[in-house]
Amino acid sequence: MAGELLRVDGVSKHFGPVEALSNLTVQFTPGTVGLVGPNGSGKTTLIRLLMGLLTPDSGTLSVLGHDVRQEALVVRERVGYMPEHDCLMPDLSGVGLVALMAQVSGLPKEVAMSRAHEVLEFVGLQEQRYRKIQEYSVGMRQRIKLAQAIVHDPSLCFLDEPTSGLDPRGRQEMLDLIRSLARLGKTSFVLSTHLLPDVEGLVDQVLLLNAGRQLAEGPVERLLGGHEEDNVVRVKGDPAPLVAALAAQGLAPTLHDRDIHVTLVARDARPVFQAAAETGTQIRYLGRSVRTIEDLFLSRVNAVPAAPPR
Amino acid sequence: MTISLPRYHSAPFVRTSRLARTWAIVRREFVRRARWGTLLAVGISFTAVILTVTFDVEFTSFIGAVTAATYYGPYTSPAWPLLTLIVAATAGAGSIAEDVGSRAITLYATRPIQLVDYLGGKAAACASWIAIAAILPGVVGVLITATLALPSAEVALSALAAFIATGLLTTVFFAGLALALSSLTTRSLYAGAAIFGVVLSLYIGVAVVVGITGSAYVPYASPVTDVLSVAHAAFGVSGTPPTDPGASAALLAGSGVLLTAFAAWRLSRIEVVTE
Repeated sequence: MAGELLRVDGVSKHFGPVEALSNLTVQFTPGTVGLVGPNGSGKTTLIRLLMGLLTPDSGTLSVLGHDVRQEALVVRERVGYMPEHDCLMPDLSGVGLVALMAQVSGLPKEVAMSRAHEVLEFVGLQEQRYRKIQEYSVGMRQRIKLAQAIVHDPSLCFLDEPTSGLDPRGRQEMLDLIRSLARLGKTSFVLSTHLLPDVEGLVDQVLLLNAGRQLAEGPVERLLGGHEEDNVVRVKGDPAPLVAALAAQGLAPTLHDRDIHVTLVARDARPVFQAAAETGTQIRYLGRSVRTIEDLFLSRVNAVPAAPPR
Repeated sequence: MTISLPRYHSAPFVRTSRLARTWAIVRREFVRRARWGTLLAVGISFTAVILTVTFDVEFTSFIGAVTAATYYGPYTSPAWPLLTLIVAATAGAGSIAEDVGSRAITLYATRPIQLVDYLGGKAAACASWIAIAAILPGVVGVLITATLALPSAEVALSALAAFIATGLLTTVFFAGLALALSSLTTRSLYAGAAIFGVVLSLYIGVAVVVGITGSAYVPYASPVTDVLSVAHAAFGVSGTPPTDPGASAALLAGSGVLLTAFAAWRLSRIEVVTE
């Protein structure tokens, strides 16, 4: 899956006075991409723009190397979309809907029916495939939305809040499904979510959005890698004396909850132990600081000035 | 016994054309509209038209020569166009409204088809049901009488052409009206009521206004009157129709096309994936 997955170049989009996306420029390679941000940050607008459902006010977008505006049908042949909201045809059976969407995507009738059965089995709806969709639970609806999105074997699949409305077990099952599809390696995924834990360990690239502005983008490994010299120290009891002692040594420690973050030159931990001995503090943990996407998001949100109300 | 884990594989396939994709929408939509109201109106149309035609032709064959005008019977009252109206309302009202209401239109919009393919599929399915009610009963009536050797071949062909021509114009207008009104709402019930309301109020309103003013132009505003005028000319019935048949035919066809274009414009304006 070498090549370019998505390219967004200087894209802005307004809805009346509301700025949904502001001068967004980002590029991703094939793999699993997390589109992360709070509700109203512009994630769905970006997906709609990439699907060609909306026209940008400015800028250009390309998907799998094809211009979204000029080659809309080519893009849609190679892309699947799982919408966030309920959009199913309640009077159809599960297999009927998936087969219909496969045919409208260009699969011959017999192939479409065969593929619909396979995909429904894969998403765990083989027992319910002949039931009408109006009888489906929220979890089953999410699964069938995923099934119709992948039935035509797309190269890229947009998943807009795929765990929305699911209970913890259903959420985990949905994430496992996506993970197993991603492992097959045939399809790249763009996973939009406001639930940061959903993308932890699942995506290899990420775009952080807030109020229509990009906070960070790129490979997760690079964004979360931090610096080898960033360390975290956890102590028994009050950490304040140790923080003061470390500050006195010029190490500029910071305290988050009960974690002391400190930069150690050449990973030399002796200043920490020395300060602990001086203050009588018992160290329980000392190790490299591991950041999560949530940490990254919070640090970037706090780093930029607040956006005007949307 | 072998137990296997769920699998997902994809064999290669050759993508179908846009026409084939549209045909999938037509098939789905046609089956979806086979509801009790539609089937009942179609059944009544068939029964009433076939009985009227065979009785008229049989009776006329005893007392004189059967001509194309003998087949005009089903159009001597507005009953048949109004039955077709019921089919248009039941089969066409939900065409777009239900997809927009359920937001299923999002699924179509994200597929490799154009707006015109989607609308074409919807229009074809809706028009098929209307044509079944507006054309087929007359055609079957002619075939039955022809099988009984009651008319000459020439007369049978003329009657067949008249039924098809009148039925086609009826189909174009009613399908266009159904699609246009269906695109204005997210509830098929409202669209169905609007289809009835528009045609019936025009029919009754025109009759009232003509009764008061005696205007020769007002009758053109009623689609039912236009259909009856076209049929009057198509079957070669003697006497003067309420409107000029050529103008009425142009009006029906033109309105149908314009209404379908309006539905396309409405669809292009719909923000399909909003919450």
